[in-house]
Amino acid sequence: MGGLFTPLSWNDAGFILTGIWNTILISGVSILIGTVLGVLIGFARAESNKTVNFLLGSVLDVLRSVPLIIQLILFSTFMGVMGSPLPPFFAGTIVLSLYTMAFMGEVFRGGFESVQNSMIVAARSLGMTYWQALRYVRFPIGLRSVFPAWLGVALSVIKDSALVSVIGYMELLRTSEQLISRTQQPLEILIGVGIFYFIISYPLSMYGRRVERKNAL
Amino acid sequence: MKLLKLAGILAGALTVMASVTAQADQLDDVIKRGTLNCGVVLDFPPMGYFDKDNKPAGFDVDYCNDLAGVLGVESNVLNLTWGDRIPSLISGKTDVVIGSTSDTLERAKSVGFTYPYFVFKFQTISKKGTPLKSFDDLKNLKVGAALGTTYETEYLAYAEKNGWGKSNYTSFKSENDAYLGLYQGKVDAIISTNTNIATKLQTEEFKDYVAGPYVPNYDDVVGLIAKRSEVAWINYLNLFLVHQIRGGNMNKHYNTHFGSDAPADLIQSLRDNK
Amino acid sequence: MNYEFHWNIVLQKMPELLHGAFVTLHVSVLSMVLGIVIAVFLAIAKMNQVKPFNYVAITWIEIARNTPALFQIYMAYFGLGAFGIHLSPYMAVLSALVFINAGYLAETFRGGFQSIPDAQYNASKSLGMTNVQTYRYIILPQMFRRIYHPMTNQFVWAILMSSLGILVGMNELSGETQRLQSLSFRTLEFFIVTAVLYYIITKFVLLSSALISKRLFRGEI
Repeated sequence: MGGLFTPLSWNDAGFILTGIWNTILISGVSILIGTVLGVLIGFARAESNKTVNFLLGSVLDVLRSVPLIIQLILFSTFMGVMGSPLPPFFAGTIVLSLYTMAFMGEVFRGGFESVQNSMIVAARSLGMTYWQALRYVRFPIGLRSVFPAWLGVALSVIKDSALVSVIGYMELLRTSEQLISRTQQPLEILIGVGIFYFIISYPLSMYGRRVERKNAL
Repeated sequence: MKLLKLAGILAGALTVMASVTAQADQLDDVIKRGTLNCGVVLDFPPMGYFDKDNKPAGFDVDYCNDLAGVLGVESNVLNLTWGDRIPSLISGKTDVVIGSTSDTLERAKSVGFTYPYFVFKFQTISKKGTPLKSFDDLKNLKVGAALGTTYETEYLAYAEKNGWGKSNYTSFKSENDAYLGLYQGKVDAIISTNTNIATKLQTEEFKDYVAGPYVPNYDDVVGLIAKRSEVAWINYLNLFLVHQIRGGNMNKHYNTHFGSDAPADLIQSLRDNK
Repeated sequence: MNYEFHWNIVLQKMPELLHGAFVTLHVSVLSMVLGIVIAVFLAIAKMNQVKPFNYVAITWIEIARNTPALFQIYMAYFGLGAFGIHLSPYMAVLSALVFINAGYLAETFRGGFQSIPDAQYNASKSLGMTNVQTYRYIILPQMFRRIYHPMTNQFVWAILMSSLGILVGMNELSGETQRLQSLSFRTLEFFIVTAVLYYIITKFVLLSSALISKRLFRGEI
């Protein structure tokens, strides 16, 4: 009967660490997949004609115009209705990766388009094949220039991963919510959570800004 | 020749097996899988909550374990919010939700209900000294409840009928958030179930609070829910509920979580409603 | 797929969903207006090296940019609640959005300011313009042009993030959807319609923004 409300104790350390680990895991995997897909999409959009571009653009547009929380609920329910329910981690990773892809695609497209055509022409006239020009000129230059923007999207994905809690994934925020219910001490727990995100995000965003400044010079 | 015959028999057997598998229903699925995925709202003590080791506990959790026991499978308790209940069923994440689901006819268009397994009354809880003698006093107070619950609907319907308006009302995402809101003083009173209130009042945190008037003329009759199409499975669940009462498990768990024998009128009400 | 869609219940509840959509627009527009006002002050405070204001601005901007919106909303609702400050769900979501919008826009504005070379100030001075004239005719129009698109993006972001109102029981589009689906248990139908509504809202905002920018900047960006 007793033990409805119990204060935080050292027993909870492992529980919180699991939450932290799950947050890192799902954001890491989603950023990785989202980046790879984003490079492909960005390249496809920079290369292809208007029609293909328009079609690709409209699909990505939907991902960027519907709130992530709605996408998560919708996708996870939909998969179940289709008869193949996914565990929260997979459903969350898929949605978060596609969401990341939609933003990364724009970032990389900008990067590829920033490489001036004259450079490619120059590379080709040096006797490079199409693929060599891609491999040695377009990719390295296009990718390097977008690093700060990439980092910006990656950081927002880490923060947005908190939303995967709504489909039942035990990441940091859901873990802390459960602890809040049990302890009725929201302030201490929330501040702890805030500090965690800040510690991850702040140094990286500072670094991103430094690189940006250096690139601008 | 013999070989050919054997092959024929085998092929025939396989076809029969395949057609059997195609007809397997949820009951077969659960038994074959060896695990019962049982959804519980762990936000609703003493029906479901987390104990100090962050493990699920409560009346509903005990029912899950009993059900898994009679099925001869492992019990896997999944934590749901009120809003998760249906998606989890439709998506197949859960086989059954034992989560105090009010058996409204609107909802029964979407999911299958079993016989009732519990009856709640809706009640108010507020800090001692709050001017709350009758349900109509809520008009002058800040009132809260969990979003999308039957008691929210009941309260809002009552408020509208009496012309109170919605301005003094606050929704909370979950039952726990509603109690946290009351505890912090965001609202003067919340509407919850008599069982949850009784449990909360025994804790140190809520010792300065009192249970108030009931929502007039309303019994909240709740059932287990499963996929609407799984009729055989729902049949099994119904029989399970009958056995819980007949075999004394219901009374045992009531004792564990409420500290007394199950009241005769509750049992009578469950028998009447089935 | 073995699912029968029931759309009529969604149609019946359409007025309530549309009201939710209205609240969504309402809270995001307000969060932008207030966010812009505060962001101007934050940007000025960060650029001028006057000590206490400078620190306040930097702290505000960095916290807003480096913690999840969900965290901000919980903090505004239950975090402040622990101090006895009770915001309604609407106010909690509004203040969290204002806090974040201000943080991001402050950096946008600062970037806009700094992108205008000093030479232009000197040039307009030597043409005999007063300080006010310089800002009115030279600096602000250029700055506005540079921050216009980031501001539009921030507005769309605010609309999308107001959906987190679902987590504090607010009656904006997502919260309303959550309530309606739990009364009827028609999760898929309600959330599909809601996703479409969000799409229409953001498209509407982006389209009007593009039209306005055409009028304002006459094509050049």
